[in-house]
Amino acid sequence: MSPVAECLLAFLFGSVVGLLVQRSRYCNTAALRDAILFKSYRNTKALLVAMMILTVGFTAFISVGAGHPLEFDVGLNTFIGLFLFGIGMVLAGACTVMTWVKTGEGNVGALWALLFTFIGMFLFSLLWSWNYWPPAPASMTGEPNLATLQLGFANARTLQEKLGVPAIVFGLVQAGVLFAIYRAILRRERLQRERHRSEAEARAAAPAQGEKRLQTRAA
Amino acid sequence: MEFFRRTLDPVIALIAIAVLDIFLFLTIGAWTVGGGETMMTGLMAWLVLGDDLQRLPFWNLVFPIRADDWRIYISLGTLFGAAVGAIASGEFRLRVPRHLSEWVLITIGGLLMGIGIRYAYVCNVSTFFGLAPELNLGGYLAVSGIIAGAWVGSLIYKKVLEG
Repeated sequence: MSPVAECLLAFLFGSVVGLLVQRSRYCNTAALRDAILFKSYRNTKALLVAMMILTVGFTAFISVGAGHPLEFDVGLNTFIGLFLFGIGMVLAGACTVMTWVKTGEGNVGALWALLFTFIGMFLFSLLWSWNYWPPAPASMTGEPNLATLQLGFANARTLQEKLGVPAIVFGLVQAGVLFAIYRAILRRERLQRERHRSEAEARAAAPAQGEKRLQTRAA
Repeated sequence: MEFFRRTLDPVIALIAIAVLDIFLFLTIGAWTVGGGETMMTGLMAWLVLGDDLQRLPFWNLVFPIRADDWRIYISLGTLFGAAVGAIASGEFRLRVPRHLSEWVLITIGGLLMGIGIRYAYVCNVSTFFGLAPELNLGGYLAVSGIIAGAWVGSLIYKKVLEG
């Protein structure tokens, strides 16, 4: 596919995603933050459903050698990077997708967050040009490299090649784990609803008892 | 149109996004945002600094700058699609944060997101919609990192809200 066709396809994909996210108010930050802070799982459930579909879809195609999986070495930098990102997205109240979506809705704060994401990336490029860590893609080996705190590279395709088991098998296992988390959330929500109902009933019963007491006193 | 009057169920929205993401994975690669943002950073820095930017090896060795990188256009499309959705549903409104504390949090949050994405070579979208479903080792490191970060961020956020 020519670069122009790739860019057009990417723009089309982005447009549909932007529309769907705007209309559904889906938020990746909320998927994690609300589950941690408020025990509310509206976005978490949507994220889990998407991950189940993607896991089965991606690994099914990887099994037959199709698709374009990401391939680069990972390590401590992956954990640290997303740790910093996780703090940042909760403080900013938006993740990468939401900054674009909210900017599209006219939110100046989101545009500001986006601007500082760019500034953060530029500051990182200064730092990297000084200490060269994590290693540049060209110097990645795919193998563990303790000197650079990297674990190398592994995904569904390498698992399939090393173990001779189709990638979809591992995909189904992961989808099963994600489904178990999804079920646990549904159970927790049911318990929350039951508790709210019994609390509401207790509140409704309390004034009635108070009235009865007043009547007795009057008699 | 009903679509623009009611809030869409996020589960339905994400099922549609997942199906489209599988299609994108088969043609060019899974949904990502951070890579495109870095390329945009490089292009903007190049517009300001000109060829001086080449003195920073990062922009040669890690991210050689090019304007025809498809990842840029996913984000531009997202901006466009969201603007269409907001205008069609009458939800487009200029919103400006009122308190200084909000500006400070957004500034720090934005910087941390930018630095974090570059340390990891991935963003949160690649983590959940690319790496983890590809069973990439990096996906598990990234998911653990983002959950730990979101937890620490939530503690700070709670402190700020209460204090």
